[in-house]
Amino acid sequence: MFLASVRNYFSLTGRRLIARRLSSSRIGTSFRLFLLAVSCHSQPLSGTTLRVSANNRTLIEAHRRLMTDSGSERGRRYLGQEEAREFDNSLFNDYKFSIDQLMEVAGLCVAQAVVRSYPASEVGVASPRVLVVCGPGNNGGDGLVAARHLLFMGYDPEIYYPKRTPKDIYKILVAQCEKLNVRFLTELPSAPDIDRDYHVIVDAIFGFSFKGAVRSPFDTVLATLVQCSTPIASVDVPSGWDVENGDPNGTGLKPDTLVSLTAPKTCSQLFTGRHHYLGLRMVPRELASQYKLDLPPYPGTDQIVRL
Amino acid sequence: MEVAGLCVAQAVVRSYPASEVGVASPRVLVVCGPGNNGGDGLVAARHLLFMGYDPEIYYPKRTPKDIYKILVAQCEKLNVRFLTELPSAPDIDRDYHVIVDAIFGFSFKGAVRSPFDTVLATLVQCSTPIASVDVPSGWDVENGDPNGTGLKPDTLVSLTAPKTCSQLFTGRHHYLGLRMVPRELASQYKLDLPPYPGTDQIVRL
Repeated sequence: MFLASVRNYFSLTGRRLIARRLSSSRIGTSFRLFLLAVSCHSQPLSGTTLRVSANNRTLIEAHRRLMTDSGSERGRRYLGQEEAREFDNSLFNDYKFSIDQLMEVAGLCVAQAVVRSYPASEVGVASPRVLVVCGPGNNGGDGLVAARHLLFMGYDPEIYYPKRTPKDIYKILVAQCEKLNVRFLTELPSAPDIDRDYHVIVDAIFGFSFKGAVRSPFDTVLATLVQCSTPIASVDVPSGWDVENGDPNGTGLKPDTLVSLTAPKTCSQLFTGRHHYLGLRMVPRELASQYKLDLPPYPGTDQIVRL
Repeated sequence: MEVAGLCVAQAVVRSYPASEVGVASPRVLVVCGPGNNGGDGLVAARHLLFMGYDPEIYYPKRTPKDIYKILVAQCEKLNVRFLTELPSAPDIDRDYHVIVDAIFGFSFKGAVRSPFDTVLATLVQCSTPIASVDVPSGWDVENGDPNGTGLKPDTLVSLTAPKTCSQLFTGRHHYLGLRMVPRELASQYKLDLPPYPGTDQIVRL
């Protein structure tokens, strides 16, 4: 009842009023989202011209995606946590992909997305310095591969990999980086030092399997990264975010770039950074149909596509 | 092998774009040999599928190693057809837009053993353009094809660094792929490798 009456109130004129109010910096983020949610509930924004600040444009975009996708007839485009796990298992069990194959292509995609988002010409140095922070699981493995490909693409990666699960696949990836003289940091620098020394941070800490509390040392790692002004590129899921609900308290990482792998996860709808790429285009058509994924086409031979 | 096969697929798509071939999904015959060159071909077939092409594989002699078995399984699960015999040259020309030659690589030496002698004899008669992986199959890796009786590929995808015989390549498209060459190693071998553009995994030579 309340929403219906509110909906009626928020006519076109009403929405223009909201736009002006939204532009006011005195309104908190959560209230802005509320206003948006209410105003957009029944009618898509596409028929409305709203002049809003760039800041609010990102909120509107995020919300537009939510509204379009939840009721879309084109099919869902996001994987929830359990679905992501099943999807992954299907790639291994049904389609016989090996973990190292997928990890190699995933890491390549991450490296390509970083280079596209932060080209050397824009960064202003020949070899942009990248701090790759790797977690204990496969997300970390993707990071190790990405570091290597960044090196081959002329960038200057350094790796912080504090908690190493003793699996062969990770050991070999570490060895490859060591043989290529990629530096492994013994401790994470402070946020000011990171900002001074690096041009990009790759967040390869936690992926779609992440659940529950952040265990040491990653609690302090995330606390440091949150203070950095250096742009962060997250692998598949911004670390520390709930894979479905995102970062409701707004206290987690705010990545500038997100590289979704195979299919975007639910929380990526709440991503408000500048660059969202989809990578790992090796999704069998049958599997995409089964999960009603309406994946965008990849241009030509590209392994990543901008979303 | 995964990155090598990806590079081969990219080179094929770049050399023979669907728009120029004139069909939505160009049909590619991937002929795979018994070794790693064949493995590169199996990977390339899969990536060609993901890039919207229509690959079919002829893989007559399968070395029983896990790596090849898993690549075959992946293609099978993706419903990529494995031919039981190589069609005649006229039939290949009728049914395919591109041939990927993934028979022999840089390890090739000596005489061509069955069944690849007849395979090469058939491919030589095809007018369908051939894209060779690293070394045109049947060529001497250093001296090429002095008698001029071997494959004449239209595209060559050199991997890591071009092999000596690639200097004798006269086709239209020569790509270098597998850009994962450590700087030290390139220096050690005095390789003057060209820069790769941006994030590309292949570069035209």
